Amino acid sequence: MSGARDAMLGRIERAVRTGRIPSAAHDAAGAGDGDEEVGRAAPSTAAMRERFVVEARALGVETYVEPTGTAVCDRLRTLIAGLRVLTWDPDLLPYGCGAIVKGALAGSAPRTEQARAEAGVTACHGAIAETGSLALIAGPGCSHTVSLLPPFHVALVRPEDFHERMGDFFTARADALAGSSNCTFVTGPSRTADIELSLTIGVHGPGRMAIVIGP
Amino acid sequence: MSGPFARRARRALRDQQLHVALDRTTAQLGLRRATGLASLEQADTVRDRARAAKMALLHSLADSLRAFEARLVENGARVHWAETTADANRIIVEIAAKAGVRRVAKSKSMASEETHLNGALERAGITVVETDLGEYIVQLAGDRPSHIIMPIVHMTREQVGRVMERRLAVPYSDDTQTLARYARTRLREEFLQADMGLTGANFGVVENGTICLVTNEGNGRMVTTLPRVHVVLMGIEKLVPTMADLDRFLKLLSRSATGQKLTAYTTLVRGPRRAGDECGADEMHVVLLDNGRSKILAGETAEILGCIRCGACLNACPVYRAVGGHAYGDVYPGPVGSIVTPGIRGLAPFAELPSASSLCGACREVCPVRLDIPRMLLALRHEAVEHTRQPAALRLGLKIFGRVASRPRLYRVGAALMRAMLRSRARNGWIRRAPGLAKQWTRFRDLKAPAAVTFETAWRQRSAAAKRP
Repeated sequence: MSGARDAMLGRIERAVRTGRIPSAAHDAAGAGDGDEEVGRAAPSTAAMRERFVVEARALGVETYVEPTGTAVCDRLRTLIAGLRVLTWDPDLLPYGCGAIVKGALAGSAPRTEQARAEAGVTACHGAIAETGSLALIAGPGCSHTVSLLPPFHVALVRPEDFHERMGDFFTARADALAGSSNCTFVTGPSRTADIELSLTIGVHGPGRMAIVIGP
Repeated sequence: MSGPFARRARRALRDQQLHVALDRTTAQLGLRRATGLASLEQADTVRDRARAAKMALLHSLADSLRAFEARLVENGARVHWAETTADANRIIVEIAAKAGVRRVAKSKSMASEETHLNGALERAGITVVETDLGEYIVQLAGDRPSHIIMPIVHMTREQVGRVMERRLAVPYSDDTQTLARYARTRLREEFLQADMGLTGANFGVVENGTICLVTNEGNGRMVTTLPRVHVVLMGIEKLVPTMADLDRFLKLLSRSATGQKLTAYTTLVRGPRRAGDECGADEMHVVLLDNGRSKILAGETAEILGCIRCGACLNACPVYRAVGGHAYGDVYPGPVGSIVTPGIRGLAPFAELPSASSLCGACREVCPVRLDIPRMLLALRHEAVEHTRQPAALRLGLKIFGRVASRPRLYRVGAALMRAMLRSRARNGWIRRAPGLAKQWTRFRDLKAPAAVTFETAWRQRSAAAKRP
């Protein structure tokens, strides 16, 4: 196996000596700091929330901005009423929403059982204003199956979850990213345009998404 | 041209249905790309930096691969090096055998198309299912993908409906929502039962060993979340230096491919599941594939290794738009394919491809990393002429032309004769069919008739007039 490795690396080292690779002078200062954005003011949480809502709605996500924690709980209760629920660890849900889903199916349940759930309830590890994306980091109590297997995903977002751009999130949550094997950005419901470019919602992931933003 | 490309292209040009499908899709995708890119702040800077990052990476590819390997190992993944397609397939079959894998669910991977991995797994008695909707239909139909991101751009919804009716024993439908539901139901079972998830990689981040995958349907998430083994098969050129670079490439990839600001699901995988996790693979393997890439890196077309497979050049290319992806005869179609295919499969059997272009430059215009595709096509044409024997008539013709052109008097007489002959065949200033050596040339184009007065004569008259007081 090391034979193949050495052979490949050797060939590559010889190749760059003869290959015509344009010398795009890499601006040393640019490596790693995303400095095409230098100078922009950090937007306020309200501005980020507003942008996030616009982007998410454009993707077909139902978004709710609630004034109080109680209102968040009420909204969640209405959204999942009558549905078989799969949830993150209830203790990890903000605004006391855990109480609403206590006893619901968890990410540790057998997969076939999880696959029968009708709604998945999660919080999030980040909300990206520029693209209307949720960042979900896998970890104990935060199984990706919850936001993936049910046809309906409900996510709870707190003001401190907002980041203007993905790059900001990478910087701010570098430790959390390093501590997990999987971070996924969810940008709207599952979709395809493979057949005649006609938009079809809900292929493998959830076809319906609701995001409840609290105070 | 009369090789396999020309034959396939002629057949494609007669296929009305294909034209309708191609026209609709490529134009629409081109439009979406333009809108998508317009929504990107400082798009030009982002493109310049992305290009710079890729080129810098290629310059230091060996060191980057070593660093990437080290980070992957730290993250708990196992790294394998595959020099050829056969090596890659053997490695993956071995991984599957060792882990007792019976079923493989595959997310879209161009590299695995390149190695014909499905066949290799099936020969080893392992069931493999494509899970990208387009790729799944391709698999059901026993067809081949014809576009990098839209594998069944060549099929109508009616054709898809008939394939599903035949292969899945479901009622015929031409409603895309119904067809997608058929696939969802069937593939859901595959995801839950699969022992191994196989993916490509859109990007590999050198600084921390992250594998980045984007899918709109969620199949990329499924196969990295549910099966107990995850195998990544990726070309050695798919690396980006840092997370900040990844951010830039993601901005460019989805916009250039479909016009989206971000693909629906962007998954960053850093090794197998950690203690306490309820999802993710127990073991993760990354197979780094060379298959001719180091050879490309050594030559005139090294730059093409910066390609991020967005497919924008296909949608922009007048040739692709007319003949579709199958005419190119291999996994990678369009302008990028005309460079990559000769690179990994050898120029001789694909010597026509670099000429399947009008060199209009539309591909370079839309390329998110500004690859100079026309320059590389020209370099390959040059190489093809150097290394393949040209037709005897052409060689003789050029030899005669060389003799004539280096003798001014003879040249003038010859040019006068040629001009008279050509002008006699012209209708409204154009020649539809030229005789002799030019016959083949005018099969596909009209030739402009020569001017009544040659440049030389006009110049002489002008100089004479200028000298008069």
